[in-house]
Amino acid sequence: MDPQHSRAFRVGIDVGGTFTDIVATGSDGRILVRKVASTTGDLSLGSSRGVSELLNENAIRADEVDVVVHATTTATNAVLEGKGARTALITTAGFRDILEFRRVRVPELYNLGYVKPAPLVPRSLRFEVSERLGPLGEIWRPLDEDSVRVAAARIQASGAEAVAICLLHSYVNPEHEKRVRAIIEEMLGDTLFVTCSHEILPEMREYERTSTTVINAYLGPVMKAYLQRLEERLTGLGTGRALHVMTSGGGQMSLKAAMNKPAYLVESGPAAGVIAAARIAKRLDLPNIITLDMGGTTAKTAIVEHAEPAKTSEFEVGAGINLSSKLVRGAGYAIKLPFIDVSEIGAGGGSKIWFDKGGVLKVGPESAGSEPGPVCYGKGGTVATLTDAFLTLGYVNSKYLVGGALGLEAGISQQAVRAQVAEPLGIDLRDAAYGAVTVAVANMVRAVKSVSTYRGRDPRGYTLIAFGGNGPLVGAMIAHELSMPRVLVPPHSGVLSAYGLLMADHEQELVRSYPARTAECDPAALNAAYEELSREAVDTLSAEGFAPQDIEVRRFADLRYVGQAYELTVPIAGSGVPVIAEVDAAFHEEHRKTYSHMSQSEPVGLVSIRIVASVRTPQPAEEPADAPEAAADAPPVTRDVYFGAVRGLHAVPVLRRAGLREGERAGPLLVEEYDSTCLVPPGATARVDRWNNIVITLEPRA
Amino acid sequence: MSRRFDPITLDVIQNALGSIADELALVIMRSAYSNIVRDAMDYSTAVCDHEGRTVAQGLTTPVHLGSFPDAMRALVSQFAGRMSDGDIFIFNDPYGAGGMHLPDFYIVKPVFVGSYVEGYIATLAHQCDIGGLAPGGMAVFATEIYQEGLRIPILKLHDAGVPNEAIPQIVAKNSRQPVEVLGDIRAQIAACGNGEKGLRQLIERYGVDEFRRYTAELHDYAERLIRAEISALPDGTYEFEDFLDGLGENPEPIRFKCALIIAGDHITVDWEGTSPQVKAAINGPIPTTHAMAYLAVRCAIGVAIPNCEGYMRAITVKAPKGSIVNPNEPAACGARGVICFRMYDAMLGAFSQILPNRIPAANEGGSSAPHIAGRTRDNRPFLISGGLMGCWGGSAVRDGQEGISNPAANLGNAPIELVESRLPVEITCYSFVQNSGGPGRHRGGVALMRGYRLLEEEAELVMRSDRRAVLPYGLFGGEPGTPSWNFINPGPDQIVLPVCPFASVPMKQDDIFLHIQAGAGGYGDPLERAPAKVLLDLLNELITTDYASDVYGVVILDGAVDEVATGELRRALASGGTIAKASYLDHFARATCTEGLARKPNASPT
Repeated sequence: MDPQHSRAFRVGIDVGGTFTDIVATGSDGRILVRKVASTTGDLSLGSSRGVSELLNENAIRADEVDVVVHATTTATNAVLEGKGARTALITTAGFRDILEFRRVRVPELYNLGYVKPAPLVPRSLRFEVSERLGPLGEIWRPLDEDSVRVAAARIQASGAEAVAICLLHSYVNPEHEKRVRAIIEEMLGDTLFVTCSHEILPEMREYERTSTTVINAYLGPVMKAYLQRLEERLTGLGTGRALHVMTSGGGQMSLKAAMNKPAYLVESGPAAGVIAAARIAKRLDLPNIITLDMGGTTAKTAIVEHAEPAKTSEFEVGAGINLSSKLVRGAGYAIKLPFIDVSEIGAGGGSKIWFDKGGVLKVGPESAGSEPGPVCYGKGGTVATLTDAFLTLGYVNSKYLVGGALGLEAGISQQAVRAQVAEPLGIDLRDAAYGAVTVAVANMVRAVKSVSTYRGRDPRGYTLIAFGGNGPLVGAMIAHELSMPRVLVPPHSGVLSAYGLLMADHEQELVRSYPARTAECDPAALNAAYEELSREAVDTLSAEGFAPQDIEVRRFADLRYVGQAYELTVPIAGSGVPVIAEVDAAFHEEHRKTYSHMSQSEPVGLVSIRIVASVRTPQPAEEPADAPEAAADAPPVTRDVYFGAVRGLHAVPVLRRAGLREGERAGPLLVEEYDSTCLVPPGATARVDRWNNIVITLEPRA
Repeated sequence: MSRRFDPITLDVIQNALGSIADELALVIMRSAYSNIVRDAMDYSTAVCDHEGRTVAQGLTTPVHLGSFPDAMRALVSQFAGRMSDGDIFIFNDPYGAGGMHLPDFYIVKPVFVGSYVEGYIATLAHQCDIGGLAPGGMAVFATEIYQEGLRIPILKLHDAGVPNEAIPQIVAKNSRQPVEVLGDIRAQIAACGNGEKGLRQLIERYGVDEFRRYTAELHDYAERLIRAEISALPDGTYEFEDFLDGLGENPEPIRFKCALIIAGDHITVDWEGTSPQVKAAINGPIPTTHAMAYLAVRCAIGVAIPNCEGYMRAITVKAPKGSIVNPNEPAACGARGVICFRMYDAMLGAFSQILPNRIPAANEGGSSAPHIAGRTRDNRPFLISGGLMGCWGGSAVRDGQEGISNPAANLGNAPIELVESRLPVEITCYSFVQNSGGPGRHRGGVALMRGYRLLEEEAELVMRSDRRAVLPYGLFGGEPGTPSWNFINPGPDQIVLPVCPFASVPMKQDDIFLHIQAGAGGYGDPLERAPAKVLLDLLNELITTDYASDVYGVVILDGAVDEVATGELRRALASGGTIAKASYLDHFARATCTEGLARKPNASPT
């Protein structure tokens, strides 16, 4: 930073499908928020426009912006819309169709109309080269370089812009892949974006590795162009000092690194929200939290223990709904990279309310989106949505959404709920709306369970952190269903993901295959392998300009009982020679915790070693008190809100967050803010803590 | 919807039950040992009500799902009043315990609330080896169930929380793969424990009476849904027959004759006229036949029905005693999977007469199940297995897909790299077969092939496959699919194996076993196929240029369709073929080097 500047800002930009959220934090403790419409077509335009507006409004000079951190849906959209690069694939001879076979299973039973996703590389662009490695990396058949040249010539003629190379067992011996890359580059120059499987995912399982490699290549040219455009625009504003990108695993990457590994960016937005919640948990010393991020289309949940979000490497992009711990995959494109383990279900404000053929009320997963949106938007939507139900129940203020920028029409909303839900059921309008909310809550409860009870975790020991535009409305209801004792609604909860971007550490996660029984492991050799991996990560981060003394390396091991196929990842304490007995003990315990059984007499197998090298990001300063204007702009004092047949209709006080500062207040209450509304139901109490989080305490269930 | 029930509570309970069943399935998948359970996912889970009726099932294997009712009925009728909190039951017997074949182990835990059973957690997993004639428990050539391995009546594996240590010991001594089998059983027990906790919490929350009332309503609701769909079908009797090629070197075709009788809102599946039971392991004890009928009806009606037993009330199954679909004890049944697929094909064929726009032509005919087993040089047992699938038939709306699981089995494929790192085998190829599948306006899915090179000194191969003589049927002018083949060492010195060899086949080091699976049937007249689609298949190297012109009458020059020449050729072919063109089967034979090989060593089916 230029020493003569006394202040500096960090800017987070989270580009979503509807809105681009921008949060800036200043070294002076200021937090500035801006929500602008996303610019479909060129999403980088909305980003730079929003940043420029935020800076101008607050009289911040561009050169006072130190760092910009970015999350984007561009990568996901490219896959969903089939707008990636024309990509070729090179495989081992005899295995051209691995990508298309996938894992063969289909995610829907009894559906003869099921259509599996079309492969990202059509068969005409899949080429075989003659070579074969064995499972120990031994050469069963040497690489026939002529076969590579033939493939390269065909790739050149095909007009492909990217090439993925994935040969069998290359995770133990990458030499053939390296040679194939060299020949391709030699013949075709550097015009193509090339990804080798050993570079992006040096792990066993050929379909998942091929798919991940293909996605990286498919996204490469598109993301490179997008990120370059963004860089140019921000540089144009004068803020281009350091530009980082959020990864799906919750870390940051430099823009340059991201250009070569775009497959890491697929779920950057949802990850940022979880990171923010994890930091809040750490600050409050909450060991166990579950996050609920509910927006317009979906609700996302994740589990965070001891400030560490649970991770997964089983993700499918484009699968529509992604339940963590989902049983049957195959609906999307597999990416086996570190992801924050987010469960996502189709329950958002825009979710449509409907009846199935048996007459049962359903909500979602189909969404009215933002165009035309819920009926109350008055933009031509005719199907009643969850937001219409919220409005009917008095949960949201027709005049105060997004600070009043989005006026809602309560009348037509109620008409739709009455005609489409109440009359078919023969019940009262409010009961119908309440029923729809109850069904949506039941769906979200399933998403919370999939990250908790499905993994042997009892949600009663967890705090729910609710955010996103709609999370604070339903958080307490979900917690109630699961007997969770407490809900926390952080400040800026409607733009928390953008805020989370400013909290994420720089991370480099590396994995190496290390097949061995722990009992037969040489601890010294294992230590050497960890050290080599650490060196590689430290070198990468150093090259990005970080001082080696700021880099922290943590070790993990992927373990299973010999004979099992699924591993559990266990942290390995310290940085010295590992104690095998401790490693085994940690694994037995994790297995017991996850599956409620363990078997200490069974041999434990090490599958891979894993390290995470990270550079801590300075955390934004403590939240200041609400700005005084909040009180001046006070909303009406009470509103009628319906809480179901048992608890009935209440005249509910409507407050700003500052209104809770005087002490604990009993529900029902509504807390209205610029970007979301928080509902405190009857029987619960609420207060704000010293970090300005709303803390809702639920009465214990009978 | 009856007014006595709050539709919202009903949905909440249904959701909660579904999530318990999914959680069960997940615990098994993650902590199981055998590749058949963890990779192929050949297992199932269910949550049952106080009478043992299924109220929710995990999204797993369709064939199993319809078989829980018979198993649970057997358990409840034998042990009613004799269960204690903490009991866990184990069984696999198809004759008397509701099993389907011996490898499928049921492990079931009653859930007590207070002093009464208010529900059950039920799991079923296909064990990789339980003894018997051949590794994997699928020796086609077994003639009685006594040859097929360990047979377990309904026993208490845990009695009031106390494990009966004798049972796992007996199981271990009777298995070639004791570590895997005991590991999988542990996973099933763990899942039962998890499920019990969740179900008990759910019941306590609503109270026993209310919960019973709502689960009863769930059954009624599922029944209403399916009856509404059946009512929409025209009343009548619809018949169809399909065949298995038969067994061994001189196979006799085995007939599956199905009549669907639709009367109002009820459907009867009648197998009168089906072949008698056989002296081989492909008989399907009645739970199998029930399960397949439920599955076929659900697939055909095309509407999501909740996994509650109530829907089964609208379906009656009639199967002549002593037939292959309802055999008498002690008929062998280890490899009964193959007849499941043919029952499915026959029922769907009958449905195609009612629902021509929904039902596709026949798929590949079911999973092919090779088992290559032996002992390593250091005397450790190995078993290379895993069902191969598959492709779907063409339909009114689209081509049949390839590289997709059979709708009746939905099994996964094990990663090749995982298989090779654990077992003495090189997979020599795993790919689509050129010029395969049945031509049609919408073609059938193309076939797959897979090769196995043995890296140990010796092993025995047991193979279960089908569809060489009687091909997967086409519909409405579409051609039947292409035949399946089995070879040892394809090439000049190859040995051609029957679809179901009636003995195990010895393999020596470096021998290659190659399986080419059947391609699926086509739908509609091939000459009506869009030339652009033919061109795309050609560009994807799924067909050759000659095939495009001979079979589809599409002339392709320099990577583009020659419209004029195509029009002329199609007219000539339609008018009765002035020029003798090679048939699609000739092209397939050329592509697979199977020209001149006899597909029908015996008389064709009558």
